[in-house]
Amino acid sequence: MFVETHSLTKRYDKFVALDACSLGVEEGEVFGLLGPNGAGKTTLLRLLLGYLQPTSGHATIGGRDCQMQSVAARQLVSYLPGEARLYRGMRGRDVLRFFSDVRQGGDFRQALRFAERLDLELARRVAFMSTGMRQKLAFAATMSTDSPLVILDEPTANLDPSVRATVSEMITEAKSGGRTVIFSSHVLSEVEEVCDRVAILRAGKCVHTQVLSELRRKHRLAASFVGDVPTVPDELRESLRVWRGVHGELIIEADELSSSLRWLATLPVTEIRAEPIGLRSVYDRFHANREATA
Amino acid sequence: MIHVLIRRRIDEAKWLLAACSIAMIWFCWLRVWLVSRLDTGRFKEILDLLPSDWQRYTPVDFAWLITYEGRISLAYDELVVVGCVSLWAIARGSDCVSGELGRGTLEMLLAQPLSRRAVMLSQTGVTVAGVAILSFCAWFGTWCGIHTMSAKQMIQPGFDLPIPLPFLGSRISIPFAEPETVYVPMVDLVDASLFIPASVNLCMFGLMLAGFSTLMSSWDRYRWRTIGIVVGIYMLQIVFKLFGMSADELVWLKYLSAFTAYEPESLVQIAHQLPEFTWSFTLRNTDGSWRGYGPMSFHAILASIGVISYLLALRIFSRRDLPAPL
Repeated sequence: MFVETHSLTKRYDKFVALDACSLGVEEGEVFGLLGPNGAGKTTLLRLLLGYLQPTSGHATIGGRDCQMQSVAARQLVSYLPGEARLYRGMRGRDVLRFFSDVRQGGDFRQALRFAERLDLELARRVAFMSTGMRQKLAFAATMSTDSPLVILDEPTANLDPSVRATVSEMITEAKSGGRTVIFSSHVLSEVEEVCDRVAILRAGKCVHTQVLSELRRKHRLAASFVGDVPTVPDELRESLRVWRGVHGELIIEADELSSSLRWLATLPVTEIRAEPIGLRSVYDRFHANREATA
Repeated sequence: MIHVLIRRRIDEAKWLLAACSIAMIWFCWLRVWLVSRLDTGRFKEILDLLPSDWQRYTPVDFAWLITYEGRISLAYDELVVVGCVSLWAIARGSDCVSGELGRGTLEMLLAQPLSRRAVMLSQTGVTVAGVAILSFCAWFGTWCGIHTMSAKQMIQPGFDLPIPLPFLGSRISIPFAEPETVYVPMVDLVDASLFIPASVNLCMFGLMLAGFSTLMSSWDRYRWRTIGIVVGIYMLQIVFKLFGMSADELVWLKYLSAFTAYEPESLVQIAHQLPEFTWSFTLRNTDGSWRGYGPMSFHAILASIGVISYLLALRIFSRRDLPAPL
């Protein structure tokens, strides 16, 4: 694993911001962090960057301890904070030059190319840029390094839809270039689009990890059905979850579509609707207080 | 990579440094000009009007204060000089951690492979260099004044009669004309190097204040609060010193104030009257007995407070959590 956390915990008096979080991110993977505000996403990222001292547990990046070898660990990281604040007196071009110069492997020409793709006005001073412009500038500075790990904390929060698409494109390119990306966002569709794997956090705990390619194979079937919930055949019991929906319809989550449809064909179903299981349904399982009944 | 950071710090601080430097040079030059305009005798008349109790508020004798050296040395205790160094030290020191944290720029900076020590040292280097430049400017302004001004002096023309005064061995001068005004170059009257100890003392004072401001900044997250705390303690230290000087029973308060070690006039007086002790830690009588603390002790006290504050600040900053900007 390129990034690892072992029972990483951060407490502020009685408040637990991150609770024994153990995660691993593979090299070359785009890893998403999902969760509502206060779930612990940013705390986790700040612990990785050594901004915060863990109450217990530890984390490593490329085998380097994030606390004991913070500078060495950060040599492998390029980080974009949630709301990037830059030197207000500097012009856009100077900001890019500064961040290229301040680290080994910084590439000013690459930063300029990214800035052009993001349609940035580099002659303008940061103080006179909009929040979105500043975010784009910081994103260009972050992506222009050759660090093997990129950590992006809600990179698209202040961006318009067309720029979001460019950002997603650039993240995919980073992955193609062999870089590992940790990506925190509230926008599920975006995460679904770019990530290979996601971790869902709730109240500081990592409650679920989901491989998105597996999720794409799963489907949800909604069937209008008369009568009681039927007994699931033994051979399908492992791959099916069945419950009654809010409108009385039968909801089936299936890992494998054809065998489920074959079973449904034996039942008195009046209407059937099949759709891929999106990240939303997985997310809602942990954050929408929905009780699943098998 | 630290040179990139230092360049950035210089860029941030250059206008404040330039303004303070100009103010320092201009004011110290102006002080020499004022001294050159006022005849010593007239200044003595002013001092004679002051109640004798006021002597306790000056670290040097009134008798020495009426000299050109004494009057010029007062510049180092003036609001403009002390104020410029204080402004620079507090502004830069408070910006070090809480300023950057408050603005949110520390976040992006520490995302780079830079140690917190490097971040603090880049700030400290520029701040301390600025203090040294300002102190030099104070001396340079004085030097410029001394080398460009001429002192106005009243000369009583007279005849030297070859009548020896019995038993005294001197002659008597009998005036037959009105006093004359003559202009003597200040450089013939005052040695500019006498003010170097005062400038060094000012530099150490700035170092102490910058170190203390950095210490307060290192644990805080709001710059306005850091400045508030530093200014509050600054005022308290002045009050301690003033009360300590005002009454014998309160003299212990002086030792609670770091400002007691900032005595530029005393140091100029020592350089003027006891030049062999200009760079000594102690003052000694001719028989070798202890007479008092020497100029280097004053410098060392201020420098120690500054250096210890910086070391503590570095320790705190290296270990603390950095909260997300608001």
